[in-house]
Amino acid sequence: MATTASTDAVPGFRGTYFGRIKNAIISIMEGMSVTLGYLLQRPITIQYPDRTPKPVKDTLPERYRGILELDMKTCTACLACERACPIGCIKIEVVKDKETKKRYITRFDIDIAKCMYCGLCVDPCPGGAIRHTNEFEGSTSDVQYLVRRFVPPGERIEPAKPKKKEKEEAGAEGS
Amino acid sequence: MTEFITEEMTLNMGPQHPSTHGVLRFQLTSDGEVIHSVKPDVGYLHRSIEKIAEKVTYHGFMPYTDRVDYVAAMNSNFAWALTVEKLGGYQVPERAEYLRVIAAELNRISSHLIMLGVMAMDIGAVTPFPYFLRERETINDLLEELCGARLTYNYIRIGGVSSDLPDGFRDRALRFLDHFEPIIDEFNRLITYNEIFVNRLANIVIIPREQAIAWALVGPNLRASGVKWDLRKDEPYSIYPQVEFDIPVGKGEVGTVGDCFDRFIVRVDEMRESSKIIRQCLDKMPEGEIQSKLPRQLKPPKGEVYVRSESARGEMGYYLVSNGGLNPERVKIRTGSFSAMAIMEEVSKGIMIADMVALISSLDVIAPEIDR
Amino acid sequence: MERLADYIVYNLPFLQQIPRVIVDLIIMLFFATCMLLFWVALFAGITSWVERRVAGRIQSRIGPNRVGPQGFLQWIADGLKCFLKEDFVPAAADKKLFLLAPYIVFAGMFAVFVVVPFGDGLIISNLNIGIFYVLAISSLVVVGILMSGWSSNNKWSLLGGMRSAAQIVSYEIPVSLAILPVILLTGSLGMQDIIRAQGPYPWQWFAFHNPFTFIAFFIFFIGALAEGNRTPFDIPEAESELVAGYNTEYSGMRFVFFFFAEWANLYIIAALTVTLFLGGWNTPAHLYTNLFGLLHRSVDVAGTFVFILKSLFLVFVIIWIRWTLPRLRVDQMMDVCWKYFVPFSFANIVGTIIWMVLADAAPVLGYVRYILFVVGLMVPLAIAMKITRNFRLAKSEIHLNPFI
Ligand code: SF4
Ligand code: SF4
Repeated sequence: MATTASTDAVPGFRGTYFGRIKNAIISIMEGMSVTLGYLLQRPITIQYPDRTPKPVKDTLPERYRGILELDMKTCTACLACERACPIGCIKIEVVKDKETKKRYITRFDIDIAKCMYCGLCVDPCPGGAIRHTNEFEGSTSDVQYLVRRFVPPGERIEPAKPKKKEKEEAGAEGS
Repeated sequence: MTEFITEEMTLNMGPQHPSTHGVLRFQLTSDGEVIHSVKPDVGYLHRSIEKIAEKVTYHGFMPYTDRVDYVAAMNSNFAWALTVEKLGGYQVPERAEYLRVIAAELNRISSHLIMLGVMAMDIGAVTPFPYFLRERETINDLLEELCGARLTYNYIRIGGVSSDLPDGFRDRALRFLDHFEPIIDEFNRLITYNEIFVNRLANIVIIPREQAIAWALVGPNLRASGVKWDLRKDEPYSIYPQVEFDIPVGKGEVGTVGDCFDRFIVRVDEMRESSKIIRQCLDKMPEGEIQSKLPRQLKPPKGEVYVRSESARGEMGYYLVSNGGLNPERVKIRTGSFSAMAIMEEVSKGIMIADMVALISSLDVIAPEIDR
Repeated sequence: MERLADYIVYNLPFLQQIPRVIVDLIIMLFFATCMLLFWVALFAGITSWVERRVAGRIQSRIGPNRVGPQGFLQWIADGLKCFLKEDFVPAAADKKLFLLAPYIVFAGMFAVFVVVPFGDGLIISNLNIGIFYVLAISSLVVVGILMSGWSSNNKWSLLGGMRSAAQIVSYEIPVSLAILPVILLTGSLGMQDIIRAQGPYPWQWFAFHNPFTFIAFFIFFIGALAEGNRTPFDIPEAESELVAGYNTEYSGMRFVFFFFAEWANLYIIAALTVTLFLGGWNTPAHLYTNLFGLLHRSVDVAGTFVFILKSLFLVFVIIWIRWTLPRLRVDQMMDVCWKYFVPFSFANIVGTIIWMVLADAAPVLGYVRYILFVVGLMVPLAIAMKITRNFRLAKSEIHLNPFI
């Protein structure tokens, strides 16, 4: 196929011949003085992870949404977090002992590999049992280690007693 | 005279190509350096977010909107919140509105910073990119303090926001803006008015006003073609009517209205306007609640709604159908990058490969936003 | 070289059994390898470290800082890594050309070192056609780049190779023409003669000799950048357009050879500019030594030091330009060459000839060099002023310690 390379359709430079030379010299000098200025300034990067003045973990703001942590002592097994999680990476199993009529948590797993740190599970928790930490360096050698098991397998843990008001709230939203 | 026979070359630009901003593919046919046709091939980043929306709750879809446009996640959050609030008729406290606008405008600046930096890098100047990113880091730090995350914020909640300003945020934000405004001038000296840069962009791929409207370009791309259209002004939502700002439009400063340089400079100017908005919001912000009382499981009434808002890449619209249940019946997202991709085929005939790179980055397409 | 070969053969009698040609060849190969390993590799390596460090600081980063003190040994680590990598040849590549291309590129650059002077008497071969040899031999690079681009059987590489060929061939013209005024003034093509024709003080340099050489200096420097594929003319390897240009498909040691050539070339550009326009190794005072008898005659250490210092400064300038400027488009690159550089260089030659005639008649023209020197001084001054202004406006703080 014969083609016409339409290079003249591509508009050329602007300005007059010498004007363009002048523009080029001035603007290049401007640009070069900016970059040289930065050469004379302190770099802003830090040498993560080992040569930072403080561990990066300690410099994170209080609200930082890192890996989730659970306080089993205050968890009331209300399942609000499990319901709020859009991915379903929280797995809670609660059994009722037929004799004592008590509830026990037999499983509380958070799959950190699936978690997107959105914080939606933290909001509804009545006692603040589930919360984000500043921990963000969670690499392991196998993806299965990323499932955090807060109830050791085979054990069962008695949930904390919900305070009165919380109980109502937890009941109300179960609709 | 015998005719000089040349052969067309088919080139595959992407999906792994440095200037395709994510995973895009263009099928080019070219005669040496001059491109004859471009066929955009989208879909490499399709994550079926719209389908996921049908499986999660209204609150639970919020983190997914972060992923629609991860460069300006806050604006995406904002749009979803507006949509559900309109359908359900939920109220938002005034302080929360201000917080939303502050966060969204900060995010708009950081999104534009990325686009400008990447564009400079695509033109061959690598150094402006780290400078732009450095400013963006400060914004990320601010947003991290505010909501705990640096990229996928999930800050805005239906009926409010997740958290109030932390202590000292106002001072830090103002300090950043004081530092940032002179830095914009420095950027201009470094790269914007550099003779080589100007020559690479001026008069390249002019999209005239009519064509821009006909191809449904939105946001800064549309404004660069000289159309003064900004949803924040023309279809005001949230507290935008109460703040003063201008809408920068392409003026054809060094070439013709609607060329690549205009698309660049419009965003530079928009950062200044955003910083103006943030300053006003920080001053005017009232005290009060940040989240209205809503049930944990939202059940908006049956019906459908389409709400659009101005994201960093232009109009972002959510079309939502509700069946009165816990999950949306259908969600459709309309994004700015998609329409920008559509025009690519039309305008890129006869340009050179180097201009193609400039065009892609000047339209500011973000691959995940195209495919969703 | 012959003298050295004579000396070795004389002292090692068993070599006399072998035909002299072969002995010469082996000795030459041996020395070439030594040069390659201890001189060019060192220069390329250190230049790469300097480039990455300077680039880092310009971009507000630190740059390589892990291997060795301040990351100084990074280039050895990188070289070693590439050395151990698989030498991959694409299935559809033209294998022979593909394997050969990096060596041709490298040989083209490496051969230039033969005539690069390092000091008074410190030159591998003081050819009487020195600068002509440089122009001729460095054209070999085009062949190599074109070969690599073609044989990779990758369209991006091909485009890169084509662009590079077009670019180098075009820019050879203004570069050669910019050298001519200097040759006219010197009356010789030898590198050492050109340096000797200049003086130790800046106003005695050819760059400031007359207005035409002043312009020629800039044309030569920028044209040399273009010939070496450096920004703003790094069009053949434009990473945002052509992925990596002609070396996209290369890996391992062959890839290193391309970069070897690139960084060696960085030094060559600088050294040639210093030789031709910036006074070379001329110093007001001399410091002769024969390095504890290692050399067969004494050399001027002060001159060598000055020469390398000037070259390194120019290397820094090239790096600085590279990390500041955007890249031209192909047609603009050609525009710059044919519409700006070529006419100016022709004017320079004519101008220089007229100047030489006039200067004989009116010695007062000799004072123009002082004016030009002052004009040249304005450039760093203007940049310094702009930097101060930038610091003031952006309220930046100065931090001079290069070792962070
Ligand atoms: S942070 Fe989000 S994704 Fe992770 S467990 Fe909580 S709700 Fe689920
Ligand atoms: S919401 Fe809190 S209390 Fe309820 S189950 Fe989850 S962690 Fe336990």
